[in-house]
Amino acid sequence: MQRYIARRVLQAVIVIWAVGTLVFFMLRAVPGDPIQALLADVDPGSADAIRAKLGLDQPVHVQYLFWLRNTVQGDLGQSLYGSHVSVNRIILEAVPRTLSLATLAFVISFALGLAAGVVSAVKKYSLIDHILTFAAFIGISVPGFWLGIILILVFSVGLKWLPAIGYEPLSEGIWPWLSHLILPALAAGLPFSAAIARITRSAMLEVLQQEYIMVARSKGLKERKIILRHALRNALIPVVTVMGISLALLFSGAVVVENVFAIKGLGRVLIQGIINRDYPVVEGSILLVAVFLVFTNLAVDVVYTMIDPRIDYES
Amino acid sequence: MLKLACLATALALCLSAPVLAQDLTIAIKASVDAADPHQLYSPNRNVQLQVYEPLLYQDQYLKPQPWLATSWEAVEPKVWLIHLREGVKFANGQPFTADDVVFTYNRSKDPAQSIHSANLVNVLDVVKVDDLTVTLILERPQASLLVKTLERASGRAMTIVNSRAIESMGLEQYGLTPVGTGPFMVTDHQLGQSLTLERFPNYYDPERPMLDRVTIIPIPEPEPLAAAIETGDIHLIGGNAPAAELIDRFLSNPDLVVSEVTGPGFQAMFINPWREPFLVPDFNKPFEELVQENGFKVRLAIAKAFNREDFIQRALFGRGIPAFGTVNPAMGFFFDTAINETSEQRYDLEAARQLLADAGYPNGEGFPTLKLLTTPAGRREGEIIVNMYQENLGITLELDLKDFTVLTEDSNAMNYDLMRLGSGGDYDPDDALVDWMVTTSRFNGLTRDTSVMPFGFFSDARVDELSAQQATEVDLEARKALVQEANKITSDKVAAVFTHHPTDILVYRTEVNYPDVSRIPGLVDLDRVTIS
Repeated sequence: MQRYIARRVLQAVIVIWAVGTLVFFMLRAVPGDPIQALLADVDPGSADAIRAKLGLDQPVHVQYLFWLRNTVQGDLGQSLYGSHVSVNRIILEAVPRTLSLATLAFVISFALGLAAGVVSAVKKYSLIDHILTFAAFIGISVPGFWLGIILILVFSVGLKWLPAIGYEPLSEGIWPWLSHLILPALAAGLPFSAAIARITRSAMLEVLQQEYIMVARSKGLKERKIILRHALRNALIPVVTVMGISLALLFSGAVVVENVFAIKGLGRVLIQGIINRDYPVVEGSILLVAVFLVFTNLAVDVVYTMIDPRIDYES
Repeated sequence: MLKLACLATALALCLSAPVLAQDLTIAIKASVDAADPHQLYSPNRNVQLQVYEPLLYQDQYLKPQPWLATSWEAVEPKVWLIHLREGVKFANGQPFTADDVVFTYNRSKDPAQSIHSANLVNVLDVVKVDDLTVTLILERPQASLLVKTLERASGRAMTIVNSRAIESMGLEQYGLTPVGTGPFMVTDHQLGQSLTLERFPNYYDPERPMLDRVTIIPIPEPEPLAAAIETGDIHLIGGNAPAAELIDRFLSNPDLVVSEVTGPGFQAMFINPWREPFLVPDFNKPFEELVQENGFKVRLAIAKAFNREDFIQRALFGRGIPAFGTVNPAMGFFFDTAINETSEQRYDLEAARQLLADAGYPNGEGFPTLKLLTTPAGRREGEIIVNMYQENLGITLELDLKDFTVLTEDSNAMNYDLMRLGSGGDYDPDDALVDWMVTTSRFNGLTRDTSVMPFGFFSDARVDELSAQQATEVDLEARKALVQEANKITSDKVAAVFTHHPTDILVYRTEVNYPDVSRIPGLVDLDRVTIS
């Protein structure tokens, strides 16, 4: 297993380098000059001075070598649009917000999705199955921004239970942190919970028809034990795959929800960087997302072996 | 006895009641990144206004008033003596002196350190006379000096920064937690998320500020912004006006106040004079002669077919003022109130159709399909314009949506048929004429191929001459005449189809007391604001 993980980590480094390099050259190939945009209504005479200061007057391959050297040393550069603010700092401030949101949304999607999927499968074709299936289809179809706005209108404007916007760090206390995250986490997590519910239901239905389940029932095991210990565990492989993808997407793609709830997380940093053609910010953000995606995939593969001991990567 | 006891209890309760915290939360649409006034432009202006101070400020009538400078005099047309306020301190405890003015000038004049160096191009030097006096030496007389160079709204070049703080904190930290002489100081900065300002206890005016704390939160989306102010999560929407479609909703809410004043800017649709069917290679002809040319006829037809009232109603929900030039009504004294009656580009659909027919396109027949360049945010307005021209002239426009960074490149290279663009923060006629309408304007096709296009979207020798004259004319009446003549020429010769002047809208909750004296168009001044 250790050799497998070491091999995957090596592959991950290559993938991350390839992603970073691709993004570096693609950014410089797309139209839109960040310095002209910054100076759109100010002083075009400053453009050359600023380009020289930021090294943007150098040939692209020289810029790339500088970028590669600095990135390897852990220096992601300086925002072109934020007056000397380092990308490391921008990302370090944004990541806890995104992680908080993604984690809570993941917990919601995991808990609701798994429970709904199991109940749906066990109560196949019953009224509750139909209701949960209908709810899951609604959850998958509803756009995140719309759901977010509805949640704000109901729980903030109408009931005044929770704040409509913003983020408070955990250091300010659990409730201030949590109260600002409940609505965005619901908006981000509910669509994923719907997907997880559907996958869980279908995987559970398949497992429940297996002979070993009949054997378990004939042995007189309690139904609850059969469902949770024997059926669910064996149905988890496709569910874990979807959950891994969900977690990665929540980390990198919660930008719509971040926008609606005014949380400056990694998604918003990335989108704003793209709009402003802020090369270092985009490169740094995508690099981090790539790292997260690659290692989430690796973690999912490791979890497979824990769920199903028959999976052995070494052989 | 019981009455007396009740009275005493009530009095005791009144006296012991806690004083309401003067904590204000405001939202702005743009991201709050950093607030070094020489590094960043408009997005963080609302932060800069509270923390830094200029030498002068413009009051609600846009007249220069003393701030860090208490008085000023032109000892010669090119030499100004500026007297500085005594007893002013920076938030780090250092006293404000003439050295800070000289340091700020040297920093702001250097293009490598400041994006405002162009605003100081006419200032040859700033010399310290004594601790509280400096001399400004100009290359030539400058009518806009007080507003464009020394004020905070239009130029911001001389927004006073603290040299020792920059040195000790480094540029990154100085941008994040800036040190100025302003009424508030930065105490917390959650990068991109929120910025907390607290009352500067050693501010030179003990009466100000009245608030204890201001929290600034960026909220980019209109609906959450509306929800946040309706729930009381925020008290005030500052910076760019909220989406026009929300204003009627705010007006019908008894908990909110909507303050509307004329904004200092203009919006326009630029027409590329180097492309058919509106080719005009030379504007230096009398109007009567120009209007004989087919290219100009098409240009004028497009301008005259633009129904400003209808556009403002449909696109902006009535929030805007018809525009016929770059000089805007917020400039007050300089604005030509009759231009809506006299401009050749005023709405006249019959005349527009006739001009188009005379140019060889009766009812739009044979007219090529043109592209209207705008940003994704301008899609809705763009679609209204497209429909208007289809309806009014029978011509087809297609939207060409590009990110602002790409639009800027295309604008500079004159790579468009028609383009929506405009300006805000125009407080002085220099902003309107020198910055936009002269041949050498930085917006006038800066990177175009000059061998093919000798000028950008417009060039008129008389406008250049008048703009140069008004820039140095110190007699107000004479300057006004020059400004209005130049503005009229750009309007008649359709330097652009001027669509509207924006309305500056401030929305706040009823518990916020926002005095008239602080209601300066385009700015959010919080030093006199209180909460009931």
